Amino acid sequence: MHTLPYTTEIRPDTGLTNPKLGIWLFLASEVMLFGSLFSAYALLRSGAASWPDQSAVLSVPLATLNTVILISSSVTMVLAWSGARAGRMDRFRIYMGLTLLCGAGFLAVKAVEYGDKFAHGLLPSTDNFLALYFTMTGVHAVHVLAGMVVNAFLLGPGARMWRSEPERFTNRVEVAGIYWHFVDVVWIFLFPVLYLL
Amino acid sequence: MTARGYLGVFGALLALTAATVLAASLQLPSSSTMALGLTIATAKATLVALFFMHLKSEKPMVYWPLALAAVLFAALFAFILWTEADHIAIGG
Repeated sequence: MHTLPYTTEIRPDTGLTNPKLGIWLFLASEVMLFGSLFSAYALLRSGAASWPDQSAVLSVPLATLNTVILISSSVTMVLAWSGARAGRMDRFRIYMGLTLLCGAGFLAVKAVEYGDKFAHGLLPSTDNFLALYFTMTGVHAVHVLAGMVVNAFLLGPGARMWRSEPERFTNRVEVAGIYWHFVDVVWIFLFPVLYLL
Repeated sequence: MTARGYLGVFGALLALTAATVLAASLQLPSSSTMALGLTIATAKATLVALFFMHLKSEKPMVYWPLALAAVLFAALFAFILWTEADHIAIGG
């Protein structure tokens, strides 16, 4: 089986490791995925005769809490990478565990929000705003879940690589982190656009 | 960057989150609220990208796919402005 080349050494023509360039190419495509959703929102809202008071329909306190949770998880993620890079697996485990906990907390708050909307008969079919709200936050939540799966792998079975190839493992944590921070950036825009403006 | 530096960025992000919520509660005209909200969000995203995603010290090759995505992202919104410009009230 061939292994991916240039996972630790820099590829001379790009100046980067392959996973690093790979994650940024993937994130460029993700910008377009979320770009299509944000532009659909802009089109439907600007073309609507009337638009609901978003902050009255949704829970701003819960969304603010989720913003703080996700920002905190970005800090713990970068500290997990920093720990791995310094050879401190104890720190890596603590901070990666906290990152996973924050991810789970974010999804739990989201589930409470969704449950509350459903209980009040507010469904994606209710109006354009709620259709956009559920689509955009739903696609985002799936991204959070995907990041948690990768992070759980790195904390669990994937951590074995630390013993055999510590540098490659650290690069994996960095690449997973870059994805995780992107998911945070998307929420940073979703929060004001869907809840406050 | 040191752990203290990352915590500094964290503090700035929390302060900007508070500013976002505060700005939305000021009852400004909707176009001002929107401009302010998106400006603060962009500032927060820039902090995350520069320091947590290490774009501040990244190799040039990373910027090319991002620049292409940024141009296409802007095009998506330019098309909407173009089609909707007849009835979007600027400053209203």
